[in-house]
Amino acid sequence: MLNISIMNVVWTVINLLILYIVFKLFLFKRVDAILLKRREEIEHTKAEAQRKEREAEELKESYAKKLQGAGKECEDLVAQSKKDGYDEYDRIINDAKAKAEQIIIEAKHNAQIEAQREKDAYVSELTDLVVHAANKIAVSKHDEESDKELYNKFIFEAIEKSE
Amino acid sequence: MDIGGLLNELLLEDKVLIHFDFMNGFFDINKSIVVTWGVIAVLAVFLLWLTSNMKVHDISNKQLVAEMIVDGLRGITGGMLGEEAVRYRDYMAVVLVFIGASNLVGLFGLTPATMDLNVTLGLALMSIVLVEVAGIKFKGFGKWMKSFAQPMWVVAPMNILELGIRPLSLCMRLFGNVIGATVIMELLKMAVPVIIPAAFSVYFDIFDGLIQAYVFVFLTSLYIKEAVE
Repeated sequence: MLNISIMNVVWTVINLLILYIVFKLFLFKRVDAILLKRREEIEHTKAEAQRKEREAEELKESYAKKLQGAGKECEDLVAQSKKDGYDEYDRIINDAKAKAEQIIIEAKHNAQIEAQREKDAYVSELTDLVVHAANKIAVSKHDEESDKELYNKFIFEAIEKSE
Repeated sequence: MDIGGLLNELLLEDKVLIHFDFMNGFFDINKSIVVTWGVIAVLAVFLLWLTSNMKVHDISNKQLVAEMIVDGLRGITGGMLGEEAVRYRDYMAVVLVFIGASNLVGLFGLTPATMDLNVTLGLALMSIVLVEVAGIKFKGFGKWMKSFAQPMWVVAPMNILELGIRPLSLCMRLFGNVIGATVIMELLKMAVPVIIPAAFSVYFDIFDGLIQAYVFVFLTSLYIKEAVE
């Protein structure tokens, strides 16, 4: 029962080594390869994510800077356009004033001319009337009563005309 | 009940399976060696099936089991070996599986391979070689030689004796436990042929077999851990 055969001990050692190789080749190596691949992928993904995060951070900063610049630019633009607007307003008002003054002057002038014309017409009519009256007086016979009547008529006509 | 006859049959049976006629039977191959060939073949086929078609993503249940086996075995042996000797964990895992599987073949009606002293002796020799190689590799040959005289020169003979005692105790423990369990099971079957042997078989064939595998690996790991300290 306790007899030891060296060959069988050697066989056991060989068997153990064979089993070790079998495990190494068929189990540990294969699983390790998969685990390594998985870890590499995870590392890769992590690095990628970090890179993207950094990029995003940079972009954010540059946008913030640009946004600040844009605010200032915007204020400048608004100020400029306000100034332009005021200038235009002043110019329009001044133009309008000048035009109005001219119109007033012209109107005054026209009114004067019209008044003069009316006056002239009135005077010429009056002259005609006087001539007519003088003619009437000249052709009619003279007495005190008819003269009076004539004068009155003339005066009434003149008043009527002038009104 | 012929207990003596049973024990004779169990302990003194002819273990030789393949006999060669030259050199006075020096090259004879025992039954236990053939059983371990079978164990190796079955394990190899199982592993080939288990680890075929592995993927990085969307893994199948089969691959999950393979990864769990690797993680589990390495966790057990790596924990026992410690950080310094963690590179030997794969070998220790293989020894664990080898002894466990060899003990469990009793379930299929075969004689456990570890019931042959030659097999346990081979395992124990491999263990002590590994322990000393690990020590030499870690410390260098000079320091390894000096470590025999530590902590004092007086204990040097004890340390040298340990070189023989350790593998002997490993080998005898495994052999004795397995043969003891088998003898008790045979006696039980003789006394009560039904039901009771089935219940005890759970302990003696499965639990005890795995415990002995664990103990063997645990002690070897402990020696390696000591050697690389």
